[in-house]
Amino acid sequence: MPDITLTIDGVEVTVPQGTGVVEAAMEAGIEIPVFCHHPKLPPVGMCRMCLVEVGTPKMDPATKQPVLDENGKPVIAMMPRLQTACTTPVSNGMVVKANTAEVEFARKGVLEMLLTSHPLDCPVCIKGGECPLQNLTMGYGPAVTRFDYEDKVHFEKPIPLGPLIDLDRERCILCARCVRFEDEIAGDSVLGFANRGRAWMIQSKSNPPFNSKFSGNTVDICPVGALMNSEFRFAGRVWEVKPVPTICPHCPVGCNMTLDMRYRDIKRVQPRVNEWVNEIWICDRGRFGFHFVTSEKRLTKPMVRRGGELVETSWQEALEDIAQRLHDITARHGGNAVGGLAGGRLANEDLYLFQKLFRDLLQSPNVDSRNGTLDEPEHDDLAYAFGLGSGTDLGKLGKGTTVLVVGADPEEEAPVYLLRVRGIKRQGGELIVVNGRPTKLDASATRTVRYQYGYEAHFVLGLLSAVLAGGLENKQFVGSRTKNLDTLRAALQPFGVDRVAEQTGIAADVFQAIAQSVAGAENLVIVYGREAFAAGTPVLQALGNLALITGHVGKPGNGVLPIVRYNNSRGALDMGVRPGKGPGYTNIVTEGMTARQMIQAAGNGKLQALYVAGLDPVGANPQARAALEKVGLLIVQDLFLTPTAQLADYVLPAASFAERDGTYTNAERRVQRFRAGRNNLDESRPDWQIFAAVGRALAAMVTAPAMAVAAAAPAKQTGKRQVTAKPVVEAHPWNYRSTDDVNAEIVQQVAIYRGASYAKLKSSNGTWGRGGVDDPVFYDGTSYANTEGFGVQWPTLAEQQNVVFDLVFSQPAAPQRRDGELLLVAAPRLYDGGTLMENADRLSFWVAQPYVGIAREDAERLGVASGDRLRLSSAVGSLELFAKVDGLVGPGTLVVPDLAEIPLGQVQTGVLTPVRVEKVGG
Amino acid sequence: MFDLIKGLRTTAKYLFTKPVTISYPEVKRPVRERFRGRHELKRYADGKERCIGCSLCAAACPADAIYVEPAENDPQHPVGYGERYAVKYEINMIRCIYCGYCEDACPTNAIVLEHQYELSFYDRKSAVFTKEMLLVPADKGHGEPPPILQNLHRPPNPPAQIDL
Repeated sequence: MPDITLTIDGVEVTVPQGTGVVEAAMEAGIEIPVFCHHPKLPPVGMCRMCLVEVGTPKMDPATKQPVLDENGKPVIAMMPRLQTACTTPVSNGMVVKANTAEVEFARKGVLEMLLTSHPLDCPVCIKGGECPLQNLTMGYGPAVTRFDYEDKVHFEKPIPLGPLIDLDRERCILCARCVRFEDEIAGDSVLGFANRGRAWMIQSKSNPPFNSKFSGNTVDICPVGALMNSEFRFAGRVWEVKPVPTICPHCPVGCNMTLDMRYRDIKRVQPRVNEWVNEIWICDRGRFGFHFVTSEKRLTKPMVRRGGELVETSWQEALEDIAQRLHDITARHGGNAVGGLAGGRLANEDLYLFQKLFRDLLQSPNVDSRNGTLDEPEHDDLAYAFGLGSGTDLGKLGKGTTVLVVGADPEEEAPVYLLRVRGIKRQGGELIVVNGRPTKLDASATRTVRYQYGYEAHFVLGLLSAVLAGGLENKQFVGSRTKNLDTLRAALQPFGVDRVAEQTGIAADVFQAIAQSVAGAENLVIVYGREAFAAGTPVLQALGNLALITGHVGKPGNGVLPIVRYNNSRGALDMGVRPGKGPGYTNIVTEGMTARQMIQAAGNGKLQALYVAGLDPVGANPQARAALEKVGLLIVQDLFLTPTAQLADYVLPAASFAERDGTYTNAERRVQRFRAGRNNLDESRPDWQIFAAVGRALAAMVTAPAMAVAAAAPAKQTGKRQVTAKPVVEAHPWNYRSTDDVNAEIVQQVAIYRGASYAKLKSSNGTWGRGGVDDPVFYDGTSYANTEGFGVQWPTLAEQQNVVFDLVFSQPAAPQRRDGELLLVAAPRLYDGGTLMENADRLSFWVAQPYVGIAREDAERLGVASGDRLRLSSAVGSLELFAKVDGLVGPGTLVVPDLAEIPLGQVQTGVLTPVRVEKVGG
Repeated sequence: MFDLIKGLRTTAKYLFTKPVTISYPEVKRPVRERFRGRHELKRYADGKERCIGCSLCAAACPADAIYVEPAENDPQHPVGYGERYAVKYEINMIRCIYCGYCEDACPTNAIVLEHQYELSFYDRKSAVFTKEMLLVPADKGHGEPPPILQNLHRPPNPPAQIDL
């Protein structure tokens, strides 16, 4: 877009076309105060605070040229009235006067007007101290009012607008920032205005009230204290809290947040601005879901099983015993007799040390980051090769971008990605949503495709065929960077568009249109989530091939974005906590056991010891209980006494994210650092410290026999007993003092993390503060400055120009379902009621009641109505749930929300479980 | 010899003048009206606490001697006027420099530095005065709450709900 030059208060500034005068003035270093305007929202001009004098060059109607005065300068025609700077776009030669007497008079008038119905209860208002109204009144307002105090509008004091947000209608200045955020950014039209005149007020239009997963953000952007974080209302004043930078531990978006600490208490959680990740938004789970940290159910002391009971013990005793027993088992049965499961909730430092502990010290290839349930998919390798090119900023993508969302429900899996993807659409991109059931994202999509469960791979293969048949592939890229296209073409024969269209029931021209859009796009982002993972390798392989043959890999704004399960699942794969691949996706010769195989091996006595950290195999699948009971040595390291921990021989209390340092890697492969906000809870310790302590003890034992040999040899020669200090085998001493030491080793050892040293993370992207936008008028109370850097996105394999990719094809399995059976689909839920939602009382309002969603057709056939009790029985077990006939499910499938309360593992036999349904009660 | 008499002359001179010292603690020197001594938390005439737990005193305090923890007023048994009161109010008397900024910052005249100056402690812990120690007795309140706090009990105006 062409640049526009204008003059604001005598300062000449050049900005892109379409910029508003407010932003242009900020560029020139001139402050124009605003209330309703917000840089993340389209301008609306409701508050009139930004009134300025605007003039444009006078044009000669005859020549269409600017009229010049005697000095040769264009004559400026000032507009007769003041203009709102937020809604006025810049134009060439425009002259803006933002500080004249008339403007000041207008601002005073607006502020006096706003304050006529503002209660001025600043001393007790929770916004006091970060309130734009307070600041702008101090800066621009009149010192006195001509209005009668008694005549102020008076409402009942705070009413709950939703379970998380309180509304004080007296304080509201009706700027509609909250309404516009919900409508335009979040896509939840749940707020609106009611009444007229002085009774004009914000209201929730939804039932249940304020039904949005982003409601907390309205509090941040509220320019007054009208919308309040109901937990923070009486928690303290904003200047009393000390913000500690952290990363959200809930989902793989990795939103930048601060823990606002007052002494030892977390008072609230606020977003930190990071335009690369979460802009200035966070979801309600991140904001209100920190209470698990202070839960009374947290483990505080190491425990050991004595006489069948778990009793408290000391760290030293526990660690020494664990090291000794692990050493004994590996000495007697070899490394294959021990296994380790460490989940994606742990930080990179923990995960690195965990796999090092097993691979180096225990000589065991058995590490995995999964629970070992039957529905768990394969690990995602796609992002390593074809992930979003480093330097991708989803917020900057727009026109020319196609986003293909396959088998994902961003709202429930990673809510901020919903905002990001919606943003791409809003900026002119194309959004294609492909799923087996309706999701929130459908409403924002340019095209929605519904597949039948079990035919996900067929759909993507059909898409591949459409691209190849239409000759839409990027021939230059395919020629230079891929091989075996002919093999793929041949393999795709049975998946021609017409054939697949017939199988899936999706029209052939839909495939053509999507293929056109995908291949023709400048940028292609393929987002896939839990349901695509569940569909297995063929789908992921096909999606990778789609990105490859259209050449949309290895550059910024292009590639795949897998929404992995936990906040640091990506980091777990990067750190090599998986069988067969070491840190940095290096191949390891001895293929170890997967989590599922480990549990199996435990059941038949081959696995003697299992170390579980941050995972809960028994909780995820009750069937694993029998197997884990047989393990000779079960060590569980967690925050809570999970069902697995209840079986353990040793239970080690770990520190939560709020109590420690570390890095998480988000779904876009961005490594980000978080800091400790509070001290360790009682005796709990950070995971890396525990692993390092076990490693230290083990390293001493591994070294000790070698020392004995070395000591014995010279003793014979001299005839004296002599101990040499130098061991024959130089073992790593495992003396890590802090996460810095671990990070230094990771940076050294893991190729892809070379750029992710703590120093680089802190100074990442060379920008400090609020990413260039440092304006108290816009951001006061909105978002904390980012002093921890924006993180480092490690480069994908495709970015190395000499790598040639093989177009691999894997045959999709036809769905197996006998007559009368329905497919059970687990739908992810953000508010799952799991351990990380522990103690979050207000958030628990949103945890759904257990139910099973059934299609109208199936319900009719089975004679089921909403509220009936159904028994779902599969080959392995059964489950009873209340039915809900809600039209959100396709025929042939049952949708069960993935809640902690529902033991889905009881019935699941695989990713899609065929189940029989019978009615057991009305 | 002469020197001794010279010295005793001065003694003799002062022997019959009124002493400038007072025999503290039996006799206490009166302080000025605006003397800044130990703080008191005041009440309204009806016995309700003046403090609204706004923490402005703590913010104004240059010595960081004040700690305030707010809580929500129970509408049935309110401690003070308004939605908020201080559930904890502590002043560390050894930290305090008796500058009176807290008094200036207080929007409800709840904290006042009074004339008590006998502040000595055997240990540091006992120098922390709690809210109970600082509050004046319930019958020693004065004054009416300001209109902004009285307004809270006015019925909503205009009616909160209009049937559309």
